[in-house]
Amino acid sequence: MIEVRNVCKSFNEVMVLKDINVLFEQGKTNLIIGQSGSGKTVLLKSIVGLHDVERGEIIFDDIVFNKLNFKDKKEMRKQIGMLFQGGALFDSSTVEENVMYPLDMFTNLSFTDKQDRVNECLKRVNIINTNKLYPAEISGGMQKRVAIARAIALNPKYLFCDEPNSGLDPQTAILIDKLIEEITEEYNMTTIINTHDMNSVMEMGEKVIFIYKGEKWWEGTKNGIFDTENKELNNFIFASKLSQKIRDLKNRT
Amino acid sequence: MSFFYHVGKYFLLLNRVFARPEKHSVYYKETLKEIQKQGIDSMGIVAIVSVFMGAVITIQTAYNIENPLLPTYLIGLGARDSIILEFSSTIVALILAGKIGSNIASEIGTMRVTEQIDALEIMGVNSASYLILPKIVASVIFAPFLTLLSMIVGITGGWLAGIAAGVVTTENYIYGIQYAFVPYYITYSVIKIVVFVFLITTISAFYGYYTSGGSLEVGKSSTKAVVRSSIFILLFNVILTQLLLS
Ligand SMILES: Nc1ncnc2c1ncn2[C@@H]1O[C@H](COP(=O)(O)OP(=O)(O)O)[C@@H](O)[C@H]1O
Ligand SMILES: [Mg+2]
Repeated sequence: MIEVRNVCKSFNEVMVLKDINVLFEQGKTNLIIGQSGSGKTVLLKSIVGLHDVERGEIIFDDIVFNKLNFKDKKEMRKQIGMLFQGGALFDSSTVEENVMYPLDMFTNLSFTDKQDRVNECLKRVNIINTNKLYPAEISGGMQKRVAIARAIALNPKYLFCDEPNSGLDPQTAILIDKLIEEITEEYNMTTIINTHDMNSVMEMGEKVIFIYKGEKWWEGTKNGIFDTENKELNNFIFASKLSQKIRDLKNRT
Repeated sequence: MSFFYHVGKYFLLLNRVFARPEKHSVYYKETLKEIQKQGIDSMGIVAIVSVFMGAVITIQTAYNIENPLLPTYLIGLGARDSIILEFSSTIVALILAGKIGSNIASEIGTMRVTEQIDALEIMGVNSASYLILPKIVASVIFAPFLTLLSMIVGITGGWLAGIAAGVVTTENYIYGIQYAFVPYYITYSVIKIVVFVFLITTISAFYGYYTSGGSLEVGKSSTKAVVRSSIFILLFNVILTQLLLS
């Protein structure tokens, strides 16, 4: 469980996050949705401590994470896995080295044990026989999956994903969403996902918050989202011609 | 004002760079990689530049002392001192600023804009130290060898050019380069290059590390890294010469 309390964040005097309060639940996929530029990435990076917030508290299962000292924060980081928007694989390392990196850095396992763990993680995300390839030599969808494998290598309790399916075709995007959902359940993690993709909302929106211009505008589940009266949220959901058509069809019957 | 802001930020970064390494074995491996990339891979360019530099210096020295009263071994002596005192450290450092400075800034800058640095931080790795310390250590270890290489190749180049141009004989040149030799000059040169490569790696890493935006900004950081490193090399050249030779 992760709780965000009264979090504010600004860059150069411009408020990007305005008094955000949310509770993200364990074993579930929690979604943050909103337009580009609404502050999703800033919120996610503030939660994991890549940005320092000016005000408020970020609580990871009773530990006030943003008030920890440097050393304790570092210790906590080992329980956090994060998937970045572009994958952020180390491009001078192979697939295997990428996934092994956290193990090299933070465990004293023997090389064969590390290799076993790497193969286990890669198998979990359905990547095989690419251990010796470099990130530039595999497709975008594969890069994302390798990044997921790297994020789960140390068995984290918390998983953060920033637009996990941006830049992917719809089918691959759904595969990635499914994978994140399954892994979340399997390891009973607290997972928070940024997205602007309605498919993802339908796929895994067990808990959804809608960010509008840096404020939490709406909170609910994928089931409630279509019945909302909230104007900005409606505009966001029914932005595409396809979704408008579906709504009109549904209203007609 | 902005100058002091940047200098302050630079020292804060260095403070993080010299924090205690997380895991020595990983740092050791990275350092070896950097020695390959910055040191061994720079030997070619240093050798090429030095051989031509030595040739030009020798011919110029010969031209300047064209006087039947002056013995021709002075050509060897003059070329040797110019090469050892100034060229094998300062010119080599300027070449390295172009080569490894831009390389470091663009490598680290790309890692910044593609969130690879965030990925390191999120794992709990001190990204500043992990990315920059091995580069500093590798360059400081390897730079003296590059300077020595430059001296040897430069003096050899001078000899070849002197013979080819017919301004000095082999015996006189060799006599000249041994005449009144001051070993301290080599120490001086090595001290200079160590300071210079420290400036190059840290300044370039600084501009790379604080890149924000996209690939365009990476290019800009890389240019800034080379220009600023070169300026600081020239500035420190004056300071060190005053400190070490007076
Ligand atoms: N490091 C930064 N410095 C200044 N402004 C930033 C920074 N990061 C994000 N912003 C601003 O914060 C706002 C929200 O950005 P972001 O969280 O990336 O949006 P998104 O919802 O698309 O992820 C944008 O207006 C952006 O310009
Ligand atoms: Mg974003």
